[in-house]
Amino acid sequence: MHRRSFPMPGLAGAAPQVNGGEPIVVKDEPGMPHRGKVFAAVHAHLDDIPYYAAGLCAKLMSEGYTGYILRTSNDERCGGRSTAENILSNEQDHFRMAAALGFKDVFDFYYQNHDMDGISYIDLRGRLILIFRMLQVDTILSFNPWGHAEENPDHWVTGRAVEEACWMAGMPNDFHEHLEAGIQPHTVGERYYFYAREGQPYNRVVDIGSHVEKKIDAIVECKSQGDGNRGSIVRAQLARQGKRLPLLGNDDRAADRAYVRQFLLEDDREHGKPHNLEFAERFYYIDRRPAKSKADEYIEKNAVNL
Amino acid sequence: MDRRQFLGRPVSAGLALGGAAALQQAPSAYGQRSDLPPKFTPSAYTVPKSPNSAGLTPDYFTYADNLVIERNQPGKPHQGKVLAAVQAHSDDITLFCAGTVAKLIDEGYTGYLIRLSNDEKAGKTVGYGVVQNEIDNREAAKALGCKKAFSFYYRNHRMDDCAAIEIRQRLIFLFRLLQVNTVFLMDPSDHYDENPDHLVVGREVEAACWMAGTGGGREYPEQLKAGLKPANVREKYYHARAPQGHNLVNRIVDISSYIDQKVRANVANKGKGPAGDNGARLRQSLAKQGKKLPLLGNDDDTANFQYVKHFIMDDFRTLGAQFGLEYAEAFRYIGPEPEHRQIVNKYVEEHAVPL
Repeated sequence: MHRRSFPMPGLAGAAPQVNGGEPIVVKDEPGMPHRGKVFAAVHAHLDDIPYYAAGLCAKLMSEGYTGYILRTSNDERCGGRSTAENILSNEQDHFRMAAALGFKDVFDFYYQNHDMDGISYIDLRGRLILIFRMLQVDTILSFNPWGHAEENPDHWVTGRAVEEACWMAGMPNDFHEHLEAGIQPHTVGERYYFYAREGQPYNRVVDIGSHVEKKIDAIVECKSQGDGNRGSIVRAQLARQGKRLPLLGNDDRAADRAYVRQFLLEDDREHGKPHNLEFAERFYYIDRRPAKSKADEYIEKNAVNL
Repeated sequence: MDRRQFLGRPVSAGLALGGAAALQQAPSAYGQRSDLPPKFTPSAYTVPKSPNSAGLTPDYFTYADNLVIERNQPGKPHQGKVLAAVQAHSDDITLFCAGTVAKLIDEGYTGYLIRLSNDEKAGKTVGYGVVQNEIDNREAAKALGCKKAFSFYYRNHRMDDCAAIEIRQRLIFLFRLLQVNTVFLMDPSDHYDENPDHLVVGREVEAACWMAGTGGGREYPEQLKAGLKPANVREKYYHARAPQGHNLVNRIVDISSYIDQKVRANVANKGKGPAGDNGARLRQSLAKQGKKLPLLGNDDDTANFQYVKHFIMDDFRTLGAQFGLEYAEAFRYIGPEPEHRQIVNKYVEEHAVPL
């Protein structure tokens, strides 16, 4: 992905808020209230979910959700090696990152990195519809297709296709051949759109304080991009100069985790501050679960025997 | 029809390429003579037309020297195999290869008819057109003995504006779902086909065939996670579109035993094409003038059947006559390729020696 430089100054208060001006703060829920539900986290690049939503992913899975992760691009432009080597290293990082967060399965579509505005959009949407139906996805996490300041085409193409696939997956005449395979239509009811760029809207602030270690677990696996191994790189550079940073500990793993905690979670700290939270992630939440209509309520209340 | 006349020779019975020179002075079905000097051997042959021709066979065929005549096979030699007859429009398969589809189903294949366009350009309104053609596709499938008909409903005559890769994705899904072994398709290399839907469909079917099975499922791996298995499409029957076609033919199929079934499939096509209920309409039109054609019988069903058999199928009778058959259809057939690994295994088995 094409991220801002790290670390970043906080952005709290700079973005418009919705829901009467105040976002809803979402805290941990006791028990397993989401048992039996399924979410799909759909991102374009290895490090999108880890930075924008790893805390929420960990929270939802700890509360009973089964999680799946789907990466749409092949990340070939990121990794500092040859194009082919970048595809391989990002792919392997993606598997490890998904395992660290506890996803049940990983999907990779491998569309060409940075060029996704040139692909067949309807091909992408068709594939998402199949997966949403196959997994009977209740909730998705992805890019806000209407979020301003998004300069990465892979992000908005992915977000837009996800948004459309959510409702089309429930329409039996879309890709009706899926039904022949026993894969039933299924509408995705809840959506969490990332707060990916300054100025994008959000109406949920999710307390990820008790899940931040999982988030760090995920980010340190983003070695091909996302600075997950920056700590060990700095540690090695200093060692060559005969120096060390006590913060980075005594091994590479500790160095990577410490670096992430110290330098790469600034956005989450800043997003938490206005709500007295240590770490928080922002989302634009949309609930499209079907509500009982007034007609249904009326019929239920007033229907009499013949 | 805008016929091209760069070669004007008929195909004669029992034709072999080596005998072509002997034909050079023969008049064509149109009575034309060739100006091709004797030092040249023709590379394409005029397909003769009968006086009743509906223009359903191409102007020219190029015949391969290993041409095979596929005849009826006793029993059910294809039991357990699956064929998909894929067409752009509701009348493509019925007109050009319904006899062979019916034959293979009778010999044990399970058949599926897959239509990719919505046929909206045929009908008194777009709405009536798409509904009638949807019905026709289903009814034609029934007449052919297919297990099921599918329609993808891409907009008619505009398929070159569709995302080819998405069409292919859906075909790969269906080929895997149905475990297709054999396909029928319009030859995308058929020269001078003016209909973009034909070319798009042919091209994408051709690509989907191998991608549905390639590499154990690296194409659309999520389909395999959904429970589908890679498909093993190993036989392809390419048919030409008439009249512009000029394509390679290496298989002539004897459809004489299945001509009535082909007729019924074409009668089912009421929304478009030259068949459908044209017989009944002609009969009614004549009746208003106080006339009748004995050929058309005494009711609409008979009229439709006889009309199609007499006027529409005559091209296939004429084609068959070239090969000593009552009725025939022509194909570029691509059969199973030998598995290279098996060749190596066989070599190892035969030549490996103790260390």
